[in-house]
Amino acid sequence: MDSLINAAARALASGDTLGALKRVATRDDAPALALRGIAMAQLGEFDSAKVLLRRAARAFGPREAVARARCIVAEAEIALVSRDLGRPATKLAAARATLEAHGDRANALHARNIEARRLLLVGRLGEAEALLTEAVPETFPPALRAGHELVTAGIAIRRLEARRAGEALRRAGLAARQAGIEALAADVESASLALTVPAARLIARGTERPLLLAEVETILTTDALIFDACRSLVGHRDQTVSLASRPVLFALARALAEAWPNDVARSDLLKRAFGARHVDESHRARLRVEIGRLRATLRPLVGIEATSTGFTLAPPPATDVVVLAPPVDEKDAAVLALLADGESWSSSSLALALGASPRTVQRALERLAESGKVQAYGRGRAHRWVAASVPGFPTALLLPGALAID
Amino acid sequence: MKHAQAEIVREYGPYEGIENVHGLTFDGKTVWFASGERLNALNPGDGALGRVIEVPADAGTAFDGQHLYQLADDRIQKIEPDSGRVVATIPTPGGAGSGLAWAEGSLWVGQHRNRKIVRVDPETGAVLRTIDCSRFVTGVTWVDSELWHGTWEAGESDLRRIDPDSGEVLHRLDLPPDTGVSGLESDGGDLFYCGGGASGKVRAIRRPRG
Repeated sequence: MDSLINAAARALASGDTLGALKRVATRDDAPALALRGIAMAQLGEFDSAKVLLRRAARAFGPREAVARARCIVAEAEIALVSRDLGRPATKLAAARATLEAHGDRANALHARNIEARRLLLVGRLGEAEALLTEAVPETFPPALRAGHELVTAGIAIRRLEARRAGEALRRAGLAARQAGIEALAADVESASLALTVPAARLIARGTERPLLLAEVETILTTDALIFDACRSLVGHRDQTVSLASRPVLFALARALAEAWPNDVARSDLLKRAFGARHVDESHRARLRVEIGRLRATLRPLVGIEATSTGFTLAPPPATDVVVLAPPVDEKDAAVLALLADGESWSSSSLALALGASPRTVQRALERLAESGKVQAYGRGRAHRWVAASVPGFPTALLLPGALAID
Repeated sequence: MKHAQAEIVREYGPYEGIENVHGLTFDGKTVWFASGERLNALNPGDGALGRVIEVPADAGTAFDGQHLYQLADDRIQKIEPDSGRVVATIPTPGGAGSGLAWAEGSLWVGQHRNRKIVRVDPETGAVLRTIDCSRFVTGVTWVDSELWHGTWEAGESDLRRIDPDSGEVLHRLDLPPDTGVSGLESDGGDLFYCGGGASGKVRAIRRPRG
């Protein structure tokens, strides 16, 4: 509110982070602490930024509710960018309600975008979608509209809805150009790559070809029996069976689907599902049990018949069988896919986002690190992982410009 | 103490490209208001914007009958209105200020979170005296020997007339919730002009008599 705070906020808004810091570096009043926190965040110093914003929120006092809420939103954005996904988002939701109640609609929308991005990252698509149902009017700042469209596109991509994703990305690109923020335009561009690079491979009748997201969307609406190795699902029309928690069963199902209309020999099934090199009688007994379980699970969709040497799928008449596989058959592809966003992740956040156990993720990270595909830095609780191919850490911080009291 | 709701007579703006209205002053004809990177001339009759003076303008604005004074960063700039030239600069006492007024040959600087108004020598920037206030001080103005200032604290704003010797509040006009007052200036008659901060508005408020 005073001249130095306003000058610092003006410097921040124009990208002059150091100019902003120079003006408030030695001040410890609440607005100065908040601006110092934002400046630190923009310099990538997330730890000091968090401490400063927390101090600012306390210094603003309980009656300065809007200013406090903005600090909480800024802190939540830093947590998101540094992939600190573990803590509950209740404070952020409360801050959003405060901002909405006091008519600060722009910052309330910013809070909503952050909440939805977090839900998207941890795979809670339905909840993320519910937060974004309303369209954002043209009167909102373009950077916020771009942020909103990016989350919408992210949800559509996860849902394999290529057309909806493409439309959202086009609107995000327009808004980002209007905002004139380079980093944001780059974010939209890299998100758009998801639509132009293969999203999956199609394996059917012994042949294999890459698929774009739009083609995946088309395949999913056909009459074929689909073995989706990206999500460990088997589906036919509107019916799906998830084998996500039963990797052995899905490995057997996938082997049978890839070979169809031919059968698969028992020894090959044992290799694919159990990694067994030498086959003995106990393996054969186990295979019989697992095939029995698979048959029971898939009964509503497809039958499994024994042949003289092994087993084969028996789909309903005139039904094609296809396998949707990840673009690269990397054992740890899911971990790599998350790290491909270029941010640094803690292994616990990765586990949260993948719905896997921390130990499983830890082992995957160690394997990937050995082959030079990921890198780690930091110690203890600050231990973070990044994809090795990513230069620097792009941070799409859209922190609210002025946290001064008005 | 007299206490009433503020009567908003007229609202100007928001204007395209102006995100924040900080300080403002009145030169008898034109309202000059600060918007970060410049001073804007506003015709209070028709609400139209006129000239622009390109100077950093982060908080209070004042007029001594000849020159404009503008707070920016840690200094007070003295500006020739016709040329827009900065003819002198003095340091702001305490390094920062919110409101700025001219009266009795001195500049009066509001200090927001310090809850103070400081009387300053306009030639040297020396502090002549300090008045303690009870709220966060924004704009400051003198009219007919009355010292008025704006407050903006915890989302609430009011205009208050204080005793310049004791700091005692004599009269208070409350603004509606979430309607902030940044700059404050009297038109010498029945109106106060108020800056509206991030709302981008300038408001005219009735000045009570007696």
